[in-house]
Amino acid sequence: MNVFPQRNQSFDKWRYLVLFILVGTIFGFYILRLFDIQILRGADFNAQAEENRTRIINEPAVRGTIYDRNGVILAQNVPSYNVVVIPGYLPEDEGDTQRIFRELSEIIDIPVSQGATDEESVRNFTPCYNDLGISEIVFIAGTNWPYDETALKCNVSKDVAMYVMENREEWPGIDVEISSVRQYPTGELTSEIIGFLGPIPAILEDYYVDLGFVANRDKVGYAGVEQSLNDTLAGTNGIREVEVNVAGEIIRNLSEPVDPIPGNDIYLTIDARLQAIAREALISEIDYWNNFGGRIISNSGVVAAMNPKTGEVLALVSYPNYENNRMERIIPGYYYEQLSNDPQDPLLNKGVTGEYPPGSVYKLTSALGVLNEGVVTPEYEINDPGSIFVIQRFYENDPGVPRQFVCWDQNGHGMVNYRWAIALSCNIYWHKVAGGYQDEVPNGGLGPWLMSEYAQALGYGSPTGIELPAESDGLVPNPTWKRINLGENWATGDTYSAAIGQGYVLSTPLQVLNSISTIANGGKLMDLTIVDSVVSANGTILQQMVPSVRWDITEEPLIETYDGNNPTGELKTVEPWVLQLANEGMRLVVTEGTASRYEIERHAELFRNDSSQSAGKTGTAEYCDDVAQSQGRCEFGKWPSHAWYVGYAPWTDAEIAVVAFVYNGTEGATLSAPVVRRVIDAYFELKAIDTAETP
Amino acid sequence: MKSSRNVWQNFDFVLFGAVLILSILGIALVRSSIAGNIELVDHPQRQTTFLLISLAVLFVVAAVDYRYWITLIQPMYIVTMVFLLFVFTAEARFGSARWLEVGTILIQPAELAKIVLILTLANFFANHESKSLDLNTILRSALIVGGLVIWIFLQPNLSTTIVLLVIWAALLWIVGMKIRFILIAVGIVILVLLIGAATGFAFLADYQKDRITNFLFPDPDARYGETYNVDQALITIGTGGWFGQGYNQSTQVQLRFLKVRHTDFIFSVLAADFGFVGTLVVILLLVVVILRCMRISQNASDTFGSLIAYGFGFLIFFQSMVNIGVNINVLPVTGLTLPFVSYGGSSLLSLMLGIGMVESVAMRSSNSKNE
Repeated sequence: MNVFPQRNQSFDKWRYLVLFILVGTIFGFYILRLFDIQILRGADFNAQAEENRTRIINEPAVRGTIYDRNGVILAQNVPSYNVVVIPGYLPEDEGDTQRIFRELSEIIDIPVSQGATDEESVRNFTPCYNDLGISEIVFIAGTNWPYDETALKCNVSKDVAMYVMENREEWPGIDVEISSVRQYPTGELTSEIIGFLGPIPAILEDYYVDLGFVANRDKVGYAGVEQSLNDTLAGTNGIREVEVNVAGEIIRNLSEPVDPIPGNDIYLTIDARLQAIAREALISEIDYWNNFGGRIISNSGVVAAMNPKTGEVLALVSYPNYENNRMERIIPGYYYEQLSNDPQDPLLNKGVTGEYPPGSVYKLTSALGVLNEGVVTPEYEINDPGSIFVIQRFYENDPGVPRQFVCWDQNGHGMVNYRWAIALSCNIYWHKVAGGYQDEVPNGGLGPWLMSEYAQALGYGSPTGIELPAESDGLVPNPTWKRINLGENWATGDTYSAAIGQGYVLSTPLQVLNSISTIANGGKLMDLTIVDSVVSANGTILQQMVPSVRWDITEEPLIETYDGNNPTGELKTVEPWVLQLANEGMRLVVTEGTASRYEIERHAELFRNDSSQSAGKTGTAEYCDDVAQSQGRCEFGKWPSHAWYVGYAPWTDAEIAVVAFVYNGTEGATLSAPVVRRVIDAYFELKAIDTAETP
Repeated sequence: MKSSRNVWQNFDFVLFGAVLILSILGIALVRSSIAGNIELVDHPQRQTTFLLISLAVLFVVAAVDYRYWITLIQPMYIVTMVFLLFVFTAEARFGSARWLEVGTILIQPAELAKIVLILTLANFFANHESKSLDLNTILRSALIVGGLVIWIFLQPNLSTTIVLLVIWAALLWIVGMKIRFILIAVGIVILVLLIGAATGFAFLADYQKDRITNFLFPDPDARYGETYNVDQALITIGTGGWFGQGYNQSTQVQLRFLKVRHTDFIFSVLAADFGFVGTLVVILLLVVVILRCMRISQNASDTFGSLIAYGFGFLIFFQSMVNIGVNINVLPVTGLTLPFVSYGGSSLLSLMLGIGMVESVAMRSSNSKNE
């Protein structure tokens, strides 16, 4: 009764067999492949799985604050409020999300939607710097890092930030991120000292990443103290190793987190009040002369003030400089370009980096030498006819050609002795004592070797040690230097030029200041410093400035003696009475010398009121640089000149020394001296105020 | 007729046992796959319910003589075609799913199509049996296949299309298709592929092209999408080692780096949790299932039963091969599930229905123990 079709044949056995072989082969291959993946390459894949789930979170350290010597804040961190979204925490209901976007849109002034996004705008997405709507930013963030904070709007006002924070309950997924921005309350006043921050440069990325910094987030100093003391200020970033899921949500700490160590605070030796007065004095003096001359005589200069006893720098103005607050978030390209292309180099601190001929201020190096070496006695008088001709010889039997040297006063000063030579800055006197003009000076003058020895003893030719980046060495020439660098023998005229700080001599304004300060300080050359103390975040003083004497020229034998061109290996000190006479000479500069001349009525009051008992030295340094060359002024008699003046007070026991340098300032006595005098007077006024306040 | 008691004595407990172990392991792995995803939380329970229903279906189907189905084959074929047509046109109207909602449970017409095609072809070849399968018969079987496949192909659902065509080919092979015809068929396939290449595979949907491109030329930097999924599956499998990281212990799974882990990539979950030994056991269980089906096919009392057992055995083999192949990155991503193990009520139900029929064949085989 079977109605179903019965089997009438069976299928080929070999056809089944082929199938079995197929099953065996394929699954056999799969098992081999699994063995390869799981056993042979297991370690490799385990490492990839570890990498998937672990994330290192680098928590930024707070950068230290920079104060002046009185606790005035020069650089600080201020909170910056960003409204952020965490797409993973937005409500699931699309309507709720849209309501949040609409309400938020009104507060932060970003449209809910800016239309569709294309791949380009997604790829180029940068938080804070885009013109997308809220929906687009949330879309991009939600696709890529749903559990990370993404900024919707950066740097909102505190009011907006507070409002958003109050509404956190109703706006899940929206929050306020507080980041820190570097701000400089004194701005332009101290930017040449403080500097500014910028992103970690690509070339130094490895170095900073090794130190725990994060490229594209952490910033490093680009100039000033921010750069030179970056390591002290930056602190150490914290590290957390966490487990994350595929959405980036943090599950737990994988190891004990290392908290960030905040950077140290720095108190500078700078007095912001004195800095302000110095800057104002320099700018107003330059402006006055530019107006008076009816043309731009100068638009750049340096003023620096220090304590000769300690080496503390109290003020350091390099004009023009820049507004470092404009760099607080990013370095604006156009602004940076403008600064870089400015011929006045506003980005450089010219007090530290600028190298200029020091002019007559440099005469004090020879002034120590001629007495100490016994070339002349203080009373020995030398005739200044206003102009002399020197036979310029390059080697001993060179017949030579005559070269003219002139005094700044073409009438000549007549017979002058040592002190008057300083007071009147008599060029011919210093030419003759240095070069030994026609046997007028016994022993053939001081000569180039000893001149360079005395200059180096006063700190010329080597850095002052100030904690600022890019300090220049300056240049103290001698015959060996000239042969190596110019391939030429030292000529007779070179000695005459170097005697008055011209020719090859170069120095930074701080070197000039420190050389005179050394004389004022009885021969102790101080290491310059700008850091008063370093204080950790919890208030511990880590480092306190102690005055550092580099050397005392009256005690340490520094002066190499020479027999002709050959050093004898014998070293000597500088006699204290020599320093005393040089000091007296510089006092005479103020009372009766070059700085006592008052061609302009407004200076009369300034100088005659000698309350501070100052001494000083003027300098008018002829120069020839690119600018002068292009104006065709690099010819005898037409050379432009920088204005120098270094002053200190009180001259018997100096506690303040100030240098002023005005680029192309024409004459030290008229342009720079008034600036120095105003700073010195201001110093004593401030001292009086401070003393009154702290009985 | 044998007595009912005798019939049950021929029930293949090895086949049933293997299937049951795979299904229970599947539920456990689906549970491991939840990994804190709220949407997946109720899946193990649902899969358990599906399994219970499927087992009931299995026994009912096994109890019924498979030959009774012959009368139902034609109506079932027509109903399935209507279903597929409806889905195809619904797709055009609503632009989405291959799912057809009937009452509260979802039936995937593609799963139905697999069963119906095996039954229809088994019946067809049983009636046109001859040692030398002639061209006429092959072409007529092609019409039967085409009536269902065309709608699935047009959906477009390439993976099911391939499954159906491969079932057809496998059946043609076993009923004795001559080597000559096979060579011709291979020639046609190559020709179709060449034409396809010339027209830029215009008949493939974009996502299908992407899958093939991703397989052939993976983008090493991909963070999301198919390549990412396959890479993560490989990593997940690799973390397994000999014995696995332990049940629910795989970071790759629990932190959700592995995607579509309850269906397409459940084999990777297995590999991560239970290691090389675990994968070996599952592959061996699947081989047991396949070989038992083939044994039943060889021992069946008639051609129809033999072809049913062969058809379902081959279906399980092919799906397993493709799914595991995707997991270990030797085949492009297809979306085929791992039989019995992957989550999915429709798939489990249709497979259990198939096993039920195979058991039905086994119970009524000619050279069973009692004869």
